[in-house]
Amino acid sequence: MVIKFQRRAVIAVTLVYFLLSDNAFAHDPIFSPGPHVLFKDGVEIHAEFSKEKKAESSEDERAIAVKYGITGDWVIGAELPYQISEEENITESGVGDVVLSSKYRFWREDSLGEQSSVAFITQVKLDSGNERIGSGTTDTMLGFAYGYESLKWYRWASMRYRFNQDSSIPSSQFELERGDRWFVDLAGGYRFQVNDYLEADTVWLLELNGEFAERSGIGDLTFADSGGSRWFVSPGVMWTLRNFAFKAGVQIPVRNNLNGDQTATDYRARIEFEWHL
Amino acid sequence: MKQYMSNLFIVLITLFAIVWNTPVLSAEKTFQIRADGLACPYCAYGIEKKFMNIEGVERVDFDLNNGVVSVSGTEALNLKESQLKKLFNDSGFTYRKIVQVDVK
Repeated sequence: MVIKFQRRAVIAVTLVYFLLSDNAFAHDPIFSPGPHVLFKDGVEIHAEFSKEKKAESSEDERAIAVKYGITGDWVIGAELPYQISEEENITESGVGDVVLSSKYRFWREDSLGEQSSVAFITQVKLDSGNERIGSGTTDTMLGFAYGYESLKWYRWASMRYRFNQDSSIPSSQFELERGDRWFVDLAGGYRFQVNDYLEADTVWLLELNGEFAERSGIGDLTFADSGGSRWFVSPGVMWTLRNFAFKAGVQIPVRNNLNGDQTATDYRARIEFEWHL
Repeated sequence: MKQYMSNLFIVLITLFAIVWNTPVLSAEKTFQIRADGLACPYCAYGIEKKFMNIEGVERVDFDLNNGVVSVSGTEALNLKESQLKKLFNDSGFTYRKIVQVDVK
């Protein structure tokens, strides 16, 4: 029973991680958040397709999100994912946990053709998903994102901390203490050509994404095969036309320092579509 | 008489064609507005949408290199400083000034 529980717990933790590992908004990097928000009373429709490959297992996620600009510096959103997980020839799929988000840009400095800003980010993953897919917990993430954008160059930096709620273990008085996580990201972008407003616009991106996870455990016992750190280099592209955006990128692991016997990620890939209304 | 009527008809047709193809029956007013923070076209859409919701506005163009937003509309179009400050702030940018107003 302990072994079976461990596998399910690890799957749940991994799936949940995938949900809350980033906060993709508008004109921001692909695998990390930026400070960009939405214009007041604007509506954003966001569709996302993600894949993570680990040896013989894979996890696919499709998600749709809606965001609303409360002010020119504050946007809120809700995301509904659908996940497909395959491990050791066992496939599980279903609607995942709803994620509510808020981003408030509390500092902004504008000059000719340039904008620098910093935003405070919050996310709450609700315990609303399919029993086999959802984590059974409500998790919260807090963070900050800095961004600089100009007609040619972009740069971003962000830091986030996710508080993972302990989850109950069926038929047991104990609770699984799921290790919290840190995310640290740096990103840069470059626009080779500045086109007119009604012409397509392309920005090439490169990110460095770091993830640090605490060990999970029960009481005083910690799981040997949990926690650790890893770094990814993530090239990507952002293509926009007036009020439509397309983004695509891949995360390539460059350093793994995972505790115990954990399967390292081979790669992650993501494509996003976005409309501003 | 026949010749006279024929000539009159040609003159009337010609005048009608000139008037029909002349776009400026009513004057058009264009505001050139300087704004800061405009670094990408995707981000500028919010500005376009808010201006197009103003009665009298017919067209919005962007010159990102010079940070200029051109707003064209009917002769009766009037944009106030306070209105522009709020519009650009609600869009996530900073209004600086109206550079020029043209009436054609």
